[in-house]
Amino acid sequence: MSEQNNDAFESRSRALFQDSVEGLDMRIRSRLTQARSAALEAAAESRRPWLFGWKMWAPAGGVTAAAILGLGLWIGSPIGHQATTLATNVQSNLEDLDLVASTDEGSADAMEMLQDDIEFYDFADKAANSGPAA
Amino acid sequence: MARFDTLNTAWMVWDGPAPAPEGAVLEYTRELEKFLAEIERRAFRMAQVALRDPDDALDVVQDAMLKLTRSYAARPSAEWRPLFYRILENGIRDLQRRRTVRKRVMTWLPGPKEDPENEAQDPLENVADSAPTIPEKLMQAQAMQQLEESLRALPPRQREAFMLRNFEGMDVAETASAMACSEGSVKTHYSRAVHALREQLGEVW
Repeated sequence: MSEQNNDAFESRSRALFQDSVEGLDMRIRSRLTQARSAALEAAAESRRPWLFGWKMWAPAGGVTAAAILGLGLWIGSPIGHQATTLATNVQSNLEDLDLVASTDEGSADAMEMLQDDIEFYDFADKAANSGPAA
Repeated sequence: MARFDTLNTAWMVWDGPAPAPEGAVLEYTRELEKFLAEIERRAFRMAQVALRDPDDALDVVQDAMLKLTRSYAARPSAEWRPLFYRILENGIRDLQRRRTVRKRVMTWLPGPKEDPENEAQDPLENVADSAPTIPEKLMQAQAMQQLEESLRALPPRQREAFMLRNFEGMDVAETASAMACSEGSVKTHYSRAVHALREQLGEVW
């Protein structure tokens, strides 16, 4: 088989192949166009900077929303309510103690008055227990 | 043309891409679209020659397009063609392997046996366009059908070398890149393919 015959064979097979490519029906052409569009879309998706992708921010947004919802539910629940009441009570007791123990003028007077009148309170208690005077 | 050694190397190079500026993205998206539009029909026909089934051929071409655009779009455009055909050929081989396994499994299952007589395709079935009634067109379609049958009978590497060199018009270096082999191997595969095809098709073809 000569080189020249090989060339003729190659040319003929190439021409036949090219004819068959040009004769592709519309269904195939349309599906190839769709495939190309899908591929380009995928390429654009993969090249989009991650900072602007909503997919990147969706998990973070979800976690934040869940945390806010959880906090709201916890405060509204009996356990949460008890915890907040207890915190308020502790704070008010501390304020009372602070008032009594404070060293400013008014509070010191009150403590002194309590100590001075203790004898009177003792007398009043005994008088009340012995019943009415004859 | 910039060369690359293997597909795996290409993966390693492309691993962890930096986001490209918007303008550059638009530019190579356009270039990529042009490349795919130019290549898709020939790629489909080559896949169809190898696989016979047009739907399988479409699937393989679509997969190759997706893989190319997802993983290698940022490579120099001169590398797209050999890369694309390399991916396509891998897809064809995978599908053929799956078919072989399926066929083996099916032989163990009860059911109607395939009639080998019916397996042989009608030469007119793959005529690209149903419209031509001109005898010359019909003869061309028959000749192409014969060529396809002969190509299917070739060893895969010979078929690949012949289609890339002859149908796609790649030079030896590009074909070697696409086939992941040396240029010498491409020449050998191609020469054997031409010899075998001419022998099968005869002088009258």
